[in-house]
Amino acid sequence: MSGFAFLAALAILWELAGRGGWIHRLFFPPLSKILAAFWAGLISGEIPSHVGVSLWRGALGYALAAAAAITLGVLMGYWRRVYEAGEILVEFLRAVPAPAIVPVAIVLLGIGDGMKVFVIFLACSFPILINTIDGVRSVDPVLIRTARTFGYSGATILAKVVLPAASPFIVTGLRIALAIALILVVISEMVGATSGIGYYILEAQRTFKIPRMYAGMLVLALLGFGLNRCFLFADARFMAWHRRLTAG
Amino acid sequence: MRRIPWLGLLVVAVCLIVWETAARARPDLAIHFPPASSVIVALGGIVWSGDLAMHALASLRRFAEGYALATVLAVGGGLVLGLSRRLHALVEPLIELLRPMPSVAIIPVAILFLGIGDQMKVSVTVYACSWPILLNTIDGVRSVDRVLVATAATFRLSPWQRFWKVILPAASPQIVTGLRVSLAIALVLVTTSEMVVSNDGLGYYVLDLQRSFQMAEMYAAVVALGLIGYALNRLFLLLDGRVMGWYRGATRKEGIL
Repeated sequence: MSGFAFLAALAILWELAGRGGWIHRLFFPPLSKILAAFWAGLISGEIPSHVGVSLWRGALGYALAAAAAITLGVLMGYWRRVYEAGEILVEFLRAVPAPAIVPVAIVLLGIGDGMKVFVIFLACSFPILINTIDGVRSVDPVLIRTARTFGYSGATILAKVVLPAASPFIVTGLRIALAIALILVVISEMVGATSGIGYYILEAQRTFKIPRMYAGMLVLALLGFGLNRCFLFADARFMAWHRRLTAG
Repeated sequence: MRRIPWLGLLVVAVCLIVWETAARARPDLAIHFPPASSVIVALGGIVWSGDLAMHALASLRRFAEGYALATVLAVGGGLVLGLSRRLHALVEPLIELLRPMPSVAIIPVAILFLGIGDQMKVSVTVYACSWPILLNTIDGVRSVDRVLVATAATFRLSPWQRFWKVILPAASPQIVTGLRVSLAIALVLVTTSEMVVSNDGLGYYVLDLQRSFQMAEMYAAVVALGLIGYALNRLFLLLDGRVMGWYRGATRKEGIL
C-alpha cells in the first residue's frame, strides 16, 4: 500500500510543481490540467478515434506477423534444411533496427495504413519467429518418435505434438511482439501520419498544446497496460493446461 | 571453426538474383525499386564518400553514451531495489505505471525539455534501455538461491563480500539478459529520435535519402544499418562468451557425470 501512497505523493508534488511553475511554466503543467485535457479529448471523441485507428493498424500487423512467423518458425524449427536455408537472411533482417524500415516502407507503400501495417508486421515477426524456432527445436524427440511409432502422420504429429509442446515458447514470442507492436505503431505514426495516437502526441507537442501531449502519453500508458492485461488473461485461459501439466 | 552455411548463402544469392531480374524487368518502377546491383554500387559510393561513416559515427556515439549510462544507472538501481524489499514496494506501482508506455512516446517530452540536440537523443535512449536492465537486475537479485546467501552468512562473509562474491555473480546471467534486450532497444531509440528531429545520424540519413529520392542510396544505408546491428550483436555475444564463460562452465550438465 505504501507504493500507492508514494504515487499519490508524486501526483500531489506534480500538481504543486505545475501550479508553482517550479520546473517550467509552459512545459510542465499541473496534473489537473493534464487530466482535464484527457477528459476533454475523451468526451469530444478525438482520443477514441485516434486510438481506434492505432489499434486497428497494430492489430492487423500483429495478427499477420503471428500467422506468418509461427508458420515459418515451425517449418524452420522442424526441418533442419529449411533452417539452414533461411538462417542468414533472418539473422540479417532481424538486425536492421525496425524504425529504419519506415522510410523503405514509405517508398514501397506510400504513407497510408499499408506502410504502418507492414512495418508493424515486420518488426513483430522476428521475436515470434525466433521463439517458435526455439520452441519447436526443444520438443522432446522421444515424444515425436513415440507418435511416429503409433503411426501418426506428419501433419498429425505437427498439430498434436509439436505445436502444443512448443506453445509456451510461442506465447513468450507473442508477448514480446505485443510491446513491439505498440512501439512501432507510435514510431510509424510519428514519422508519417495524420491520425493515430503517435501523431496525436507529436502534433500536440509541435503546436505547444502541452497538456494534450501528456494526455496522449497517459492514453498510451493505459493502452500498454490494458493490452498486457488482456494478453495475460488470454494466456491464463488458453495455456492453463500447460501449467497443470508442468506444476508438480 | 564454424562450417560455411552454403545453403543459406545460396538462398541469399537466389534472392539477390530474383531482386535484380525483377527490378530490371520493370524499369518504370526503378525509382522505387532499384536493382540489387545499383544498391551495391550505391553502398560502395556512400562508404567511399565518407557520408556513411560520418552518420554512423554520430549514431554510434549516441548509442554508446546512452547504453553505457543506462547500464550504470539501471544495474545500480536494480541492485538496490532487488536487495531492499521496502524500497521495491515503494516504487513498484510507479514502475508498473511507466513501463507499459511505449518508450518512444517520451521523445516529444524530451524535445520540450532538452531541445533537439544530442542530449535529448541520449536521454531517450537511456530511458528506454533502462527498463529491461532494471527489471532483469531486480529479478536476478531476488531469485538468488537463498541457500547460497545463507551459506555465505554461515561462513561469516561480510555483507559486502556476500554482495560481491555471491549475489552479484548469481544475478549476473539475468543482468546480461537485460543488457542484451537493451542493445536492440538502444538502436531503435537512436534511429527513431534521429528520424523525428536531427541533422545527422543514420536514422536521419535514411529518412533524408528517402525524402530526396536517392533510392539506391537509401536501400544501401538500410543494409549498412543491418550490418551494424548484426556486428553489435556479434560483439555482445563475443564479450558475453568471454565474461560469462564461467557461468556456462559451472552450469553445464552433460559430460560431468
